[in-house]
Amino acid sequence: MHQSASTRTLRTIAGWVVVGLFFFPIYFWTSVAFRDAKDIFNWPPIFFDFSPTFKNFEQVFGISLGFGFGNQTAVTPGGGNFYMAPRLLDTIIVASFSTILAIVVATLAAYSLSRMTFRGRHDFVNWVLSTRMMPPVAVAIPMFFIFKQFNLLDTYTGVIVVHGIMNLPLAVLLLKSFFDDIPAEIDESALLDGASRWTIFRRIVLPMAKGGIAATAVLCFIFSWTEFLFVLTLTQTSIKTVPVVSSTFVTSIGTAWGNMAALGAAAIVPAFIVILLVQRHLVRGLTMGSLKQ
Amino acid sequence: MRDSDRKRYLASLTDKLVNGQMGRRDFLRLAGKLGLGAGALGMGMHRSPYSFVPSAQAQEALQPSAETLKWVADVSKPFAGTTLKLATESTPPSNALNSQLKKYFEEASGIKVEIEVLPLEQVLQKLTLDVASSLGTYDLYYIDQSWAAAFNGDVFDPREQLQKADLAMPNYNIDDFLPALVDGVAMFDGTMVGVPYDIPIFIMIYRKDIYDELGLKAPATMAELLSNSKAISEAKGPEIAGIAGQMKSGHYSLECEWTSMLWGHGGSIFNPDGKFVGNDEQGIAAMEYWTELKKYMPAGVDGWTWDGQGQAVAQGVAASMLSWGEFFPYFDDPTQTKISGLCEVAVPPAAVSLRTKEQTGFGETPGVGHQGGSTLAVSKYSKNPDAAWIFMQWATSADTQALITALGGGTGPTRSSVYDDPRVKANARVGAGTTRHLPVVRETIANHMGSEPDLVEWAQISSDTIPVSLGKYFAGGYGSPKEAMDDIASQVDTILKG
Repeated sequence: MHQSASTRTLRTIAGWVVVGLFFFPIYFWTSVAFRDAKDIFNWPPIFFDFSPTFKNFEQVFGISLGFGFGNQTAVTPGGGNFYMAPRLLDTIIVASFSTILAIVVATLAAYSLSRMTFRGRHDFVNWVLSTRMMPPVAVAIPMFFIFKQFNLLDTYTGVIVVHGIMNLPLAVLLLKSFFDDIPAEIDESALLDGASRWTIFRRIVLPMAKGGIAATAVLCFIFSWTEFLFVLTLTQTSIKTVPVVSSTFVTSIGTAWGNMAALGAAAIVPAFIVILLVQRHLVRGLTMGSLKQ
Repeated sequence: MRDSDRKRYLASLTDKLVNGQMGRRDFLRLAGKLGLGAGALGMGMHRSPYSFVPSAQAQEALQPSAETLKWVADVSKPFAGTTLKLATESTPPSNALNSQLKKYFEEASGIKVEIEVLPLEQVLQKLTLDVASSLGTYDLYYIDQSWAAAFNGDVFDPREQLQKADLAMPNYNIDDFLPALVDGVAMFDGTMVGVPYDIPIFIMIYRKDIYDELGLKAPATMAELLSNSKAISEAKGPEIAGIAGQMKSGHYSLECEWTSMLWGHGGSIFNPDGKFVGNDEQGIAAMEYWTELKKYMPAGVDGWTWDGQGQAVAQGVAASMLSWGEFFPYFDDPTQTKISGLCEVAVPPAAVSLRTKEQTGFGETPGVGHQGGSTLAVSKYSKNPDAAWIFMQWATSADTQALITALGGGTGPTRSSVYDDPRVKANARVGAGTTRHLPVVRETIANHMGSEPDLVEWAQISSDTIPVSLGKYFAGGYGSPKEAMDDIASQVDTILKG
């Protein structure tokens, strides 16, 4: 289709405006992480003209330029102690293992739902979906009691299990739709050639659904990475994830915005790396099923 | 040289070193004369870049008393290996305990202490769950003054715990806690709901340079507070407003500011019959005054809690605030604000008239200096109440509180003797963690303190009913102050009727 030069220019400008709209909050938040407290609140606001400092990162991650690494236990001005490096590690562990748990269980369940016919199959799918309809706050407190009974409070296992369960319905439904898009004739041909269901699943269907699995895993990872309520309710001092510890920067004498931004900016990195790692499969996964034959 | 003088002199030296008024060589020479020796020599090399407390002070003066730690070691033997848990708001005392001081207790006692630091509303959620389940997941409770009624009955009265002679800390001296705080923060219905742990309280903080330039004096009356704010706004506005407020709709901070205005105009929240009377003549006068005062606050004040209010003063957008004294050390910190050394403090302006406690209900105590203190108490559901009691005595002892005040950024002590402690007085200079505002805090506690009523429903009324309606009023949702206050009265009535 022919486009005039002015239309092309307008489209380009519109594209950059949209990119800017998404990018600006990330830039501004990250820039706050590199500012002294007195440079954060200014009127009119300062976007570029400030003296960068690593102080917030030093306080949050214990990375002292010239002093090496270490646990920064000193009380910072205002009375806070904002050493959060272990909490970032907690978040990586919880998000990674809960994603693995959800994906392992969901791929098996989704393949069964996609390929096998059994009584109540559609009801089962609806039931899986319905578990997402209950507000998390309604189950958080009963879970607290159950987890206390099983000594799972304040443990990695407890939070990983909860996040895994939380992501399971979404993962099952998404993966089922990806498996549905793979023609069942392929399975049937392989069956005729003597392959078992497990072989077909492992050797044929899984590789073909790689893109979909990657997209689902990224979503599970991000949902776990940002989940707040269950972690708040089911943990105490042993483990905590980034969203929950971010709230501890809100102190009785104000909010440590610079430290909060440092943790927030750093917390983007692992999620970004995960997305980069699966990017190749992601685009394909996100567009899978968009064309029906 | 006396030990206290030596410590004060050392603090002064280190302060000069930190502020660049003295070279390292001179400092080491003078410190050497004080007998610091090798400990001080190492200081310059290994000083944490994050600590605002000079290391020499931390190493020499800011150490727990050996005598207290010996008692901890002796009395804790049966409890070695125990783990104690405490959920607390992120306050200067809790942070100082958590990051700097608990290690001394743990080393001496063999008891592990896990302190979960959270925003206030999350602490309430955790405590409510713990009490509702009676599971004893926390051994110690941090109890905000507005929750005292709700958690009364779920904690041990410290006066009863003191009767256990074998666990009692020598010289703990419970009478050292400021009587006004014991009454206003800890007491409910004859029970002591823990001991006073921290005391944020409203004081007058103002920009001395601007006040001097305009020939103003710290406001002694509510009328002067208004006229000073107006004069500054007219002379310096719109860049600098006369006063900053904490007026975020629906937030507890709005209720805090309201009580200060209400009490300052001779009003009260309740009468002796337990009826809401914020809508009486004095209550309306307070609202009219507050509405007028708001004209001299910066634009956007409707979206600020105490955080935004503090930032407004810290960034030089407002010239004064009647608010939490805990902010003052932050204002004095040159690495955090642009107004270090420019602020001064004063007791809150005198009230137009003041009701007595007997003229109010539910133990409410009128006073312009609104207090937001908290207590520390041992949970009745704790599986280790004796170990928790030992920790609580140590954490609230005069020695530990002096360290908390010095390390925790100049927070207000709850014990009388701590205000006179040389380690605390040594920090009474311009700079981070200053304690130069503490004499005013002490006087405000004694003579100007206002305490909210104690009733089980208060958490809901103070954090929801009142601030939501006040926010609606300032957004123009009511035709007049009277209409707004009548509506609040009706809502409170409904809540109290259950």
